[in-house]
Amino acid sequence: MDATDVTANQRLPLIAAAGRLLQRLKGVNRLGFALIFLAPSLLIFGAFVFYPLVKALYLGFYETDPFGNQGDFAGLDQYRTVLSSESFRHSLWVTFLFALYTVPPGILLGLALALLANQKLRGISIFRLMFSSTVATSVAVASLMWLTLLNPSVGLLNYFLVEAGQPRIDWLNDLDWALPAVSATTVWLNLGLAFIVILAGLQTIPEELYESARIDGASNWSLFRHVTLPMLSPTLFFVSVVGTILAFQSFGQIHILTRGGPVDATTVIVYSIWQDAFQRFDYGVASVQAVALFLLVLGLTVVQLRFLERRVFYQ
Amino acid sequence: MSRVVFDQVTKHFGDVVAVDGLSLEVHDKEFLVLLGPSGCGKSTALRLVAGLEEPTKGSIIIGDRIVDNVEAKNRDVAMVFQSYALYPHMSVQDNMGFSLRMRHVPRRERHQKVLDAARMLGLHDLLRRRPGELSGGQRQRVALGRAIVRSPSVFLMDEPLSNLDAKLRVQMRRELIKLHRQLETTVIFVTHDQVEAMTMGARIAIIHEGALQQVGDPQEVYQHPANLFVASFIGSPAMNFFHSELRLQDGQLVAHSAGASFPLTEGQARALAALGGEKAIIGVRPEHVLLDWEAEENSEACLDVVVDTVESMGHEQHVTFSAGDTTIVARLDARRRLREGERLRLRIDRAHMHFFDPDTGQRIE
Repeated sequence: MDATDVTANQRLPLIAAAGRLLQRLKGVNRLGFALIFLAPSLLIFGAFVFYPLVKALYLGFYETDPFGNQGDFAGLDQYRTVLSSESFRHSLWVTFLFALYTVPPGILLGLALALLANQKLRGISIFRLMFSSTVATSVAVASLMWLTLLNPSVGLLNYFLVEAGQPRIDWLNDLDWALPAVSATTVWLNLGLAFIVILAGLQTIPEELYESARIDGASNWSLFRHVTLPMLSPTLFFVSVVGTILAFQSFGQIHILTRGGPVDATTVIVYSIWQDAFQRFDYGVASVQAVALFLLVLGLTVVQLRFLERRVFYQ
Repeated sequence: MSRVVFDQVTKHFGDVVAVDGLSLEVHDKEFLVLLGPSGCGKSTALRLVAGLEEPTKGSIIIGDRIVDNVEAKNRDVAMVFQSYALYPHMSVQDNMGFSLRMRHVPRRERHQKVLDAARMLGLHDLLRRRPGELSGGQRQRVALGRAIVRSPSVFLMDEPLSNLDAKLRVQMRRELIKLHRQLETTVIFVTHDQVEAMTMGARIAIIHEGALQQVGDPQEVYQHPANLFVASFIGSPAMNFFHSELRLQDGQLVAHSAGASFPLTEGQARALAALGGEKAIIGVRPEHVLLDWEAEENSEACLDVVVDTVESMGHEQHVTFSAGDTTIVARLDARRRLREGERLRLRIDRAHMHFFDPDTGQRIE
């Protein structure tokens, strides 16, 4: 037996032991291993989503003194008072109207533009770029732009109204027009996203389906009704869920355009939360509304998943 | 009458010429195969008949009608796509009945027609399923069924079998032939697979670079290929080609090639002489390369070769030989044991030699 044999023989049990250790580590620490990989996102989610969520839930149980400090324990009473208040019900109603004014028109417009931009024409990519450009526009820029367009004296909209022989409208200060005006801005702002997603959806539909249907005798409307719409349903479903969530979370454009006015006509829940939290420093009341908004969006998404998804066809 | 005529049809896509002056008549109730390598324009030719493309020049006639200005849906043709193009959100029944629904056929009649076609194709148990729940072969049948329910005057099939596995493909080949016999309808079948073409087509039209190379029944294109392209494309293993020089020896025309000399028959000599050139390409099918153990030294039409590779097919073997720079493939009886590197002598069956003009590639006959 020479020297190398000795070392090899001595090394064998060592290797075996190391292997066993590794095996055991693997078994015990699979979760730990997974956690290491999850840590960065868990950290971010924890700091910015989970902690605020729990904190809001907690704050909702406490009153807030006039100086913004945590006051007495109120338990569910605060939830009951706030959620049954006239102002919360009003902002809930405004939020629903806002979603109604922004989501369906946004999807329809996005679909229409995507259908147009999906044509095979020379220079169509210029239009694709234009239609999707609102994605790269910040809420502030979009709001300022629309502020100009909606301006009662120098705005383009009123210019057309006057040209058409109609009276001017003070869009953002009119009780009836403020919410539609803010909604129009929001539709415009979210249009790029809807357009891009729907166009991408359109482009995944195989060309042969249209060709086959054309030979089978389908008219343009039939092609749309029997090929495009069903094949696009997962995309439209996605856009409607995301659009609804976006609508319920809108803040910037309302803050810049109307500050919730006139007379709370555009005070959606998020804006009401902001007013209670950062104008009145009533964190308790704001937290109750935040929790309510969270549950509302969660509930709506579940309902959408349950009911809309039945009509959705996944390949 | 459901003949289809291509009359000087040309189709350009930008600078690309997909179909180049194609003239071809597909007879009524005929099963015609358009054969060619991928990108040769055969699918474009089919799509021109379907009305999915418009010819740049020329006309297409279906029956007695010039259909250049007729929409796809009014041409009375049905098409089976390579990808089947089934509507994934519809059941088999709705897929098959779609064209009838688009044509406002009453529900009851529609149902009956779908049921008839489904029975014919063995799909009647699957009518409620969606395409995603079917196997490749079943989807293929649904695609066929969708075409059949319309009882069109022309069936267009664009490589319908190429997504099936080998075994299923052979089975569907037979079923399609039977189906054609049953339906008695004109079929234009596009494929790049020469075996499919040879086994299915009553006639084969071979297309290369957008242009028609030859039309004929399978035997005709195999035994009398019109040019080098057809000769090399049809047949597996492919035909062997030798560049040869023609010389007059003792009053007889002899082709010299790959170190061998091939005295020509009188007919061959006359055809070659008429051409006037001194060069020709000799084509020999692998089954006409013979192992000749008894051959004498310097005997005619014999080649000294070395065995390169042996591919056994079970019932036969495809053997590649090399003779200098030339490679020769032979189809031989599987019982002959051959070792790689073995030296031996081959004989070429002179009666089955094909001659081609080296300049034009055309057959010399």
